[in-house]
Amino acid sequence: MSYLVIEGLHKKYGQSTVLTNINMDIQKGEFITLLGPSGCGKSTILRIVAGLTDASAGKITIEGKDMSGVQPKDRQVGMVFQSYALFPNMTVQENVAFGLRMQKVNATDIEQRVQEMLALVHLSEKANAYPKELSGGQQQRVALARALIVRPKVLLLDEPLSALDAQIRKKLQADLRAIQRKLNMTMILVTHDQEEAMAVSDRIFVMNNGSIAQNGTPTEIYTRPDNEFIANFIGHYNVFTRQALEQMLGVTLLEHCSKFAIRPEALHLDQRDGDMCIAGIAKQSLMNGNIIRTTFDGETMFTMEQLHQQQGYSIEMGKSYKCYVAKEDVIALS
Amino acid sequence: MKKRGLADFFFLLLVGYLLLPVLATMLYAFASKWNKTILPEGLTLKWLSTLFQDTDFIQAFGRSVLLASGAVSIALLVIVPAIFVIVLYFPTYEKWIQMAVVMVYSFPGIILAVGLIRVYSQIGIPMILVVLGAYVVGILPYIYQGTRNSLRNIDARQLLDAAQLLGASKRQAFKKILLPTVYPGLFAGALLSFSVLFGEFVLINLVVGSRFETVQIYLMKKLSTSGHIASAVVFIYIVLMGLLTFVIAIVTKRSKGATNL
Repeated sequence: MSYLVIEGLHKKYGQSTVLTNINMDIQKGEFITLLGPSGCGKSTILRIVAGLTDASAGKITIEGKDMSGVQPKDRQVGMVFQSYALFPNMTVQENVAFGLRMQKVNATDIEQRVQEMLALVHLSEKANAYPKELSGGQQQRVALARALIVRPKVLLLDEPLSALDAQIRKKLQADLRAIQRKLNMTMILVTHDQEEAMAVSDRIFVMNNGSIAQNGTPTEIYTRPDNEFIANFIGHYNVFTRQALEQMLGVTLLEHCSKFAIRPEALHLDQRDGDMCIAGIAKQSLMNGNIIRTTFDGETMFTMEQLHQQQGYSIEMGKSYKCYVAKEDVIALS
Repeated sequence: MKKRGLADFFFLLLVGYLLLPVLATMLYAFASKWNKTILPEGLTLKWLSTLFQDTDFIQAFGRSVLLASGAVSIALLVIVPAIFVIVLYFPTYEKWIQMAVVMVYSFPGIILAVGLIRVYSQIGIPMILVVLGAYVVGILPYIYQGTRNSLRNIDARQLLDAAQLLGASKRQAFKKILLPTVYPGLFAGALLSFSVLFGEFVLINLVVGSRFETVQIYLMKKLSTSGHIASAVVFIYIVLMGLLTFVIAIVTKRSKGATNL
């Protein structure tokens, strides 16, 4: 039986529809990510699951219990906010202990559990500091500890890392995943960062305009995008119309669809058995750390990504090249 | 260097211009005689002592404190919860409060007094209660700004959500999180309101007059009988306002520190 079930969720604000027919089945201990552009409704789902916003229609059950009418304080759902929402009048220790105090846990247990939790997020030495005395990363760890200490059934993470710089964000992504595995906790993360989603999730629900566009494992989402929106949002797919791609390849494609996608890294300059070929003039090259992304002008513009090799880069701008792709890497979009 | 000297000169000139009348008045409250000399001929505590032995003054002072603190207390009980609810749950209604705030500033005291007398004098409500009501409305800008700024500094809605998800009821969240966080701003707003009302003269004098003699009306009366006593009243008023300003400064500084996230 699924641990958290969302069925037929709809949300309207006045005449504006924010969510349309959202259905999700989540297992215990799964790390789920809601991925999508700003304003697609992913945070609204979290707020409805938490009970902070009412749904216009639909049902949410946690461990088989219908959450309709259950107050946020009684749902046993934790949440970490983008702006941390730490209580400014309390120290780190008091912030983390707050949930246990509300549950009237005895003082000795509170102290012990707070110490354990602060150790888990590596903040034991900051126990007596106030939130304003901490860095953004430290504040987010306190927020995480405060949410985890009450042992919620589901932990909701509303873009918790988006305000942090890249290095700290990557470190916290790893920490978050490690803690989630250690506690076997069901977590739902909201993010608009596809790399973050790929790095931490068991499953990703990609959202667009208030509905779920596709869901699957990170590998499924990345290698088999269902439609043009997913192909564009995940990675830097080349999306071609049937006519343009058939002209470039010089073959008739058998799949019944109007658009096709090719991953930039699936293109290469050396020909292998069974490869198809598209030609284009090299127009622009951008170095992105370990990746070099080259834009070609063929029947239509497309990009190719290569690993940045020590011996340097051999493509000359303005020169015509043949790029090869395996048949199975040409993905038909619905 | 020359520019700096010129700036200092004009600054000192301004400070002197502002402080001289205040210092002179305060000095006059301690002067035994000050008629034909540049400085007082002698200093005395006689005027202050006389003032504190005058039951009219003590009663007037008590009435001023009662009226100002009563209006502030009512405002805190009525206006503050309304501001909380509007800011947290109905932010679109905030424009109406802002409009009310502007209207408070735009009504001259004389117009307000005449209006209050015409509307309320015939219907049996004690006019002092009418003034009290007008005072509550009059301090809306100070209470509103103090509360609103404190709430703006802390994303209050999200703090409430966080507290509720940790098992707190709305009441507990308000009491344990929001109130301690916005308290310094609220306190500063209340003190500011108190000091404004304590010094109010136009409305109380025109609507109620000597039937409810406050410090300001007492001061007006004493101006025609004894300049020294009047100066002593001003001295006490300035000391009180100075104390309130000092407390407001400390509280506001603490408030900024607490919400600097």
